[in-house]
Amino acid sequence: METCGKMESKWGDVTMFVNYEHKNNVYGVTIEKRKNNYFVTYDNTEYKISAEEIKPGHLKINIGNRLLKAIVTEGEKEKFVFIDGNVYKVKPVELTGRKKKSKKDSDESDLDSPISGKIVNIKVKKDDVVKKGDVLIVIEAMKMEYLIRSPYDGKVRKINFKENDQVEIGQTTVEISKK
Amino acid sequence: MFKKILIANRGEIAVRIIKACQELGIKTIAIYSDVDKKSPHVLLSDESVCIGDPTPIESYLNIPKIINIAKEKNAEAIHPGYGFLAENPDFAETCNKAGIKFIGPSPKVISLMGDKIAAKKTMEKAKIPVIPGYHGEKQDNESLFKEGKKIGFPLLVKAAAGGGGKGMRIVHYEDSLIESIEGSKRESKSSFGDDTVFLEKYLDKPRHIEFQILADEKGNVIHLFERECSIQRRHQKIIEESPSPVMNKKLREEMGKSAVKAAKAVGYTNAGTVEFMVDKDLNYYFMEMNTRLQVEHPVTEMTTGVDLVKWQLLIANGDELTLKQNQLIQRGHAIECRIYAEDAENGFLPSVGMLKKVEEPSGPNIRVDTGIVSNIQISPYYDPMLSKLIVLAETREDSINKMIWALSNYAILGITSNIPFLKKVFEHEEFKKGNITTHFIDNHFKDWTITKKGLPVDAIIALAVYDSMHSKKEEIVRYKEADPHSPWKHVGRWRVSGEM
Repeated sequence: METCGKMESKWGDVTMFVNYEHKNNVYGVTIEKRKNNYFVTYDNTEYKISAEEIKPGHLKINIGNRLLKAIVTEGEKEKFVFIDGNVYKVKPVELTGRKKKSKKDSDESDLDSPISGKIVNIKVKKDDVVKKGDVLIVIEAMKMEYLIRSPYDGKVRKINFKENDQVEIGQTTVEISKK
Repeated sequence: MFKKILIANRGEIAVRIIKACQELGIKTIAIYSDVDKKSPHVLLSDESVCIGDPTPIESYLNIPKIINIAKEKNAEAIHPGYGFLAENPDFAETCNKAGIKFIGPSPKVISLMGDKIAAKKTMEKAKIPVIPGYHGEKQDNESLFKEGKKIGFPLLVKAAAGGGGKGMRIVHYEDSLIESIEGSKRESKSSFGDDTVFLEKYLDKPRHIEFQILADEKGNVIHLFERECSIQRRHQKIIEESPSPVMNKKLREEMGKSAVKAAKAVGYTNAGTVEFMVDKDLNYYFMEMNTRLQVEHPVTEMTTGVDLVKWQLLIANGDELTLKQNQLIQRGHAIECRIYAEDAENGFLPSVGMLKKVEEPSGPNIRVDTGIVSNIQISPYYDPMLSKLIVLAETREDSINKMIWALSNYAILGITSNIPFLKKVFEHEEFKKGNITTHFIDNHFKDWTITKKGLPVDAIIALAVYDSMHSKKEEIVRYKEADPHSPWKHVGRWRVSGEM
């Protein structure tokens, strides 16, 4: 059986290529570990880095003379990076050859209720022509109102609720045929 | 003092109250719904009881269930927190009948202040300025037109049964008054089944400024100065501060006196808040009275050093208010902001799911009132407020800088919070100048989205380093063997030094 130390030496100096997806953009990065340094290449620039994980997920990274502090946490599929008050949700792109799911399909989930609440206003009727961003339905939950907006230009195919109906999280409120 | 009380709430406010009780040696009973089993208030409390289904009406709003638990567990009093049952006169009444002290004012006062029109009429009688308006029964166009002209323009036509801006019209000129009244009536009829309308003077550049009061059961009433809560989104406050940047000594004295007078006029007891609208010429008008502890109470605690929750408990216990008005000092400048689980970039939709990690900022005069910890599920059932971040510094400018620092060091990972949005508000020039009105967010942050620049290089570097540190041998092998026909083949290869 291999010990951890052995594994380190065997697999210690590695180069990896990773693609990160953030908001439909893909960022390709090369990272090479040589002795105590990391060499990150992104956008034709190489950064020589020394880094340590001071506690789980907390990174202290020296890039030249600059100190970068970041917190990285893993979700189910995605990773979250915290830097200076901003959080970036990033998905490492699958490397096993599976095709990337079309982003268009997931837009449809914008028509699902994000919360359990009451339908207080339906702004459209069947066959109405709607533009991307138009408010379709207003849902009220815990004193707050949430708007269901059309994710694309299209036509109202079906409205699944009436005003004052109770809606549960994840239920599709309106169906829109894409133009 | 009470030996044991029940806290009929959840989240940060339940935590806040439990801590105050424990400091005073009072045992606590927390209640929680199925989804809140791992919540901090449950873990902190001396005892906790599950009240079942997460739907509020089955849990935190279920009066019989809560009263039964209180009786079974021998609670002597119930603290309602804010929201849920805090301003429900039936709940206060039911507590009292069951021989359990309701920590708040009497049911009669709650119900009087809950009726916005009756509250205004009471205040008018007590000679407290209210927004000029017409709330009468004559609803024909001619009478409404006459009343409207008396109030002057601009004015607001409001649906009596309304809320959330429905049936509301701003009228700038006499010519369009009738048309607006008719429109408002139509909308009101279809929305609420009632077409009664009110007329009210419309305030230009209004600010929301409120006064904290404390009243004991022996007739002593004091105010603890103002809080400015003008920064709101959809009538929900998001940033509160004390003192108000627009306040002066004379106005503070006048408004403070009015607030105390308002409390005395209705025989108010316990902690409460008198809300005023203040126009650009610094005229102030009574808006409503909140008969509970406010979300934003910490800014008052920070600037006065008074523990409001402790006083709520003492007053409910029948103790006399030993704080005297002329001994109270407002010191420094405190700001609070509300941390919500919502995606400001995406229409402020609530963000639910697994909260993976929380790291709070800490430092001198930074206070976090929180209801969250790492690795809990944020459910869609309740208000999306996660916590409150409060800072105190010598001046407003210092306080803003401290808040920006604190927000920059507040990590909430796994769900989306409004922290980046809040930071932008604090960095806004008009906010820094104190030029804030209740329209601030609509005027300056309509359809706001965060920078479109995408993923910064620092985030890419941090991720790459993290992945390099955490990649396992098996993964490297798997990537090596990735499908050569994959569209990702150019990225799907790992090269291991010495083995290629």
